[in-house]
Amino acid sequence: MVPLIKIEKRNDVPMALYFFTPFIAIILTILGGGIIFYILGFNPIEALKFYFITPISNLYGLSELLLKATPLCLIAIGLSFCFKSNNWNIGAEGQLTFGAIVGGGVALLFYNQEGFYILPLVILAGAIGGMIFALIPAILKTYFNTNEILVSLMLVYVSKLLLDYLVVGPWSNPEGFNFPETRQFSDSSRMPLLFEGLRIHAGIFLALAAVMLSWFVLYKTYLGFQIKVSGLSLKTAKYAGFKGNTMILVVFMISGACAGLAGVGEITGPIGQLHRMISPDYGFTAIIVAFLGRLNPFGIIFASLVVALTYLGAETAQIFLQIPKYTGQVFQGMILFFLLASDYLLFFKVKILSLKKNELRH
Amino acid sequence: MATDLRISNISKIYPGCVANDNVSLQFKSGKIYALLGENGAGKSTLVKILSGVISPDNGEVFLNEKNLKLNSPLDAKKNKIGMVFQHFNLFETLSVFENLSIDATEDNKSLRVRINEILKKYNFSIDLDVPVLNLSAGQKQKVEIIRCLLRSPKVLIMDEPTSVLTEQETEELFISLKKFCDEGILIIYITHKLKEVLSLCDEVAVMRKGKVVSVSQTQNEKVETLANKMVGQKLAKIRKKINISKNKDEIFKVKHLNFYSDDPFETNLINLNFSVKKGECLGIAGISGNGQNELFQILSGEIITPDTSIIFRNKEIAKLNPKQRREYLMAFSPEDRISQAAVPELKIFENVALNNFKSSNFFEKGLVNERKIKEHSKKILSDFSVNTDNVELKSQFLSGGNLQKLILGRELITAPELLICYNPTWGLDVGAISYIHETLIKINDQEKSTILISTDTEELLKLSDRIAVIYKGTLSKIMPSEEVTPEKLGVLMGGGSID
Repeated sequence: MVPLIKIEKRNDVPMALYFFTPFIAIILTILGGGIIFYILGFNPIEALKFYFITPISNLYGLSELLLKATPLCLIAIGLSFCFKSNNWNIGAEGQLTFGAIVGGGVALLFYNQEGFYILPLVILAGAIGGMIFALIPAILKTYFNTNEILVSLMLVYVSKLLLDYLVVGPWSNPEGFNFPETRQFSDSSRMPLLFEGLRIHAGIFLALAAVMLSWFVLYKTYLGFQIKVSGLSLKTAKYAGFKGNTMILVVFMISGACAGLAGVGEITGPIGQLHRMISPDYGFTAIIVAFLGRLNPFGIIFASLVVALTYLGAETAQIFLQIPKYTGQVFQGMILFFLLASDYLLFFKVKILSLKKNELRH
Repeated sequence: MATDLRISNISKIYPGCVANDNVSLQFKSGKIYALLGENGAGKSTLVKILSGVISPDNGEVFLNEKNLKLNSPLDAKKNKIGMVFQHFNLFETLSVFENLSIDATEDNKSLRVRINEILKKYNFSIDLDVPVLNLSAGQKQKVEIIRCLLRSPKVLIMDEPTSVLTEQETEELFISLKKFCDEGILIIYITHKLKEVLSLCDEVAVMRKGKVVSVSQTQNEKVETLANKMVGQKLAKIRKKINISKNKDEIFKVKHLNFYSDDPFETNLINLNFSVKKGECLGIAGISGNGQNELFQILSGEIITPDTSIIFRNKEIAKLNPKQRREYLMAFSPEDRISQAAVPELKIFENVALNNFKSSNFFEKGLVNERKIKEHSKKILSDFSVNTDNVELKSQFLSGGNLQKLILGRELITAPELLICYNPTWGLDVGAISYIHETLIKINDQEKSTILISTDTEELLKLSDRIAVIYKGTLSKIMPSEEVTPEKLGVLMGGGSID
């Protein structure tokens, strides 16, 4: 007897289950993490506690969680516009960096000035920066048929190298002893803090506003309708006469603006200047957030909190268990893979058949 | 040794469609057999059964009187049935030799020797060590043929082999096939191209709607006789009242329509010129794959071709996209209901919103006006007797006939001056077909015009006022339908000429 695996498409997938599978993926990730800790020689229960509970067991931890979730949520909201319409922008990290460069540039112009108008200008500059940078893959896609996955990904390194050059070269702090960083921004360029002593800042309102706005645009406007149809069937979108190229440009601009806002939120929030490491790959991790949140604005809020926790957990685990903080990426990777696997099982059923040897199929 | 392949009473039924209806055929080596039929006639199903890809509901296959159990492609290979599909199964980035060695059982050295023998014997010139992506379509096909020959097949089945070949390559292929035949390989050649059948094959079986309708010697056949058998001779009994449209205005006029594509699976269109009068139905006949897809997309504005002039109601619209053309009161019903005209995952009212006019106010100032769309959808559902009144229903739960009624309703409720439809009754049951035919006739009665692109001759003769035939991207002269007979259409569809 030879077991045979047959995979069939399921005809009717209940929507409730579709939104439930992310939870299954998270549970599996926690179990998988436990196994990894066990293999590494740690008590899995204790290690998981350090990972998922200790970081948010006090007010400071909760503030850190929201602080990390803010950029993830903002970027993922932007990405959901692209992904829903079949545009694969995976260069949000580059758009974040370029947004931070442009926003940071404006902040540096005003480094020795005060004024209520400075912060809005900086934020606006950041959004425009991200938007412009996202327009590059979009324009190349619409007019030269390039693949946006490759172009947007490669541009990440362009913007990171540009940032490198600026912070060691022209923009480096003249009083900074040649450290690769710019001057500190003036207080007028900094996001107001919400609570004394905690790092959580007003950027979170930008993220919440983005959630509301995106829900409205995606579900209540003609643009949202076009995005939905294009995502389901490009052939239908063409037949309906939607302006495909305009839509590509618009979704990339939205996505880039959100990433740019996230970048400017980081430098005007917790960081306060430009240096090499302004983002622990928020732009890439946000791809996982977008899919874990099912490209739904409210799902994305939830997903950004979960994924932000893996960043915090990794730091706590590094401090208390001396595990490299890169385990955070392991957890993020596991979430994505478990989610993809659950989705696969959601849309396809696997049948195991037994056949006699002479019936063995190819 | 002579080979004798016998198919006995094969039936295969898919939901809503009988693909093979009690098919029995006999083939003997030493001859080239043609299996002729339109798309959807059941040829491919039969071939898939012979190559073990699908199994029949009923019936048996005998090779030299041995009953074959063809449960998988592997079984077909074991029984020395070789198959070359229309779309190649090759790894583009691997070399020719690597492609051939994948499922070989011998070591590379002796395999190479054997391949070289085959290359020499049949005069194939292919470099074994270049990646497959560098080969032309004809060379790729040769690689597929070599793969079959390596297994010294008794039966070789070729599925529409010339659809991607140049004239030159087609000639070379025919020479090789005749050689294989002389060596005792039984060749079954599947096609809808009549001329190829006449020039290559000895015997021809014609299939229509799942049945074998004729088996004959090709020497007794002509293009016309085969075409008639292929498309069916039934003359339309109910014919619409011909519109007396001699003196009416031309509402739609196409000039210099040319289309060139690099894609070998697309058909180039060469200088099409035609016009449609008010209240008239212009039928465009043809065997599928002769440029209808491309023509429809150009008329709807999905493809914009340079230097073409399309005049509609005295306005030049050749550069407008489908949405803009709709504003001028054109409407379109594409062939592909499920992935183009509608999105199955969307709700009925969302699919209705795809045909969006400025005046319909579905999207006021960029916002969705759901109430308006739903009202409008309800009206379509009742006016066009779709068997539901739930506009929130996902379209995937509608039957083909009801979905088509919804689509036609969506296109017609705005009272367009011209409707362009492509195979509007494809795959529908009799009831839905007659409803849609009545609807199309009604439009003409209301002095609105239609262009009907269809592969169904009966439908064309029933509905059209004038008919033209598209063949290999060129359009025949346009004939008043009272002068057209199924025979004439058959000749033109097969690439022949009349008068």
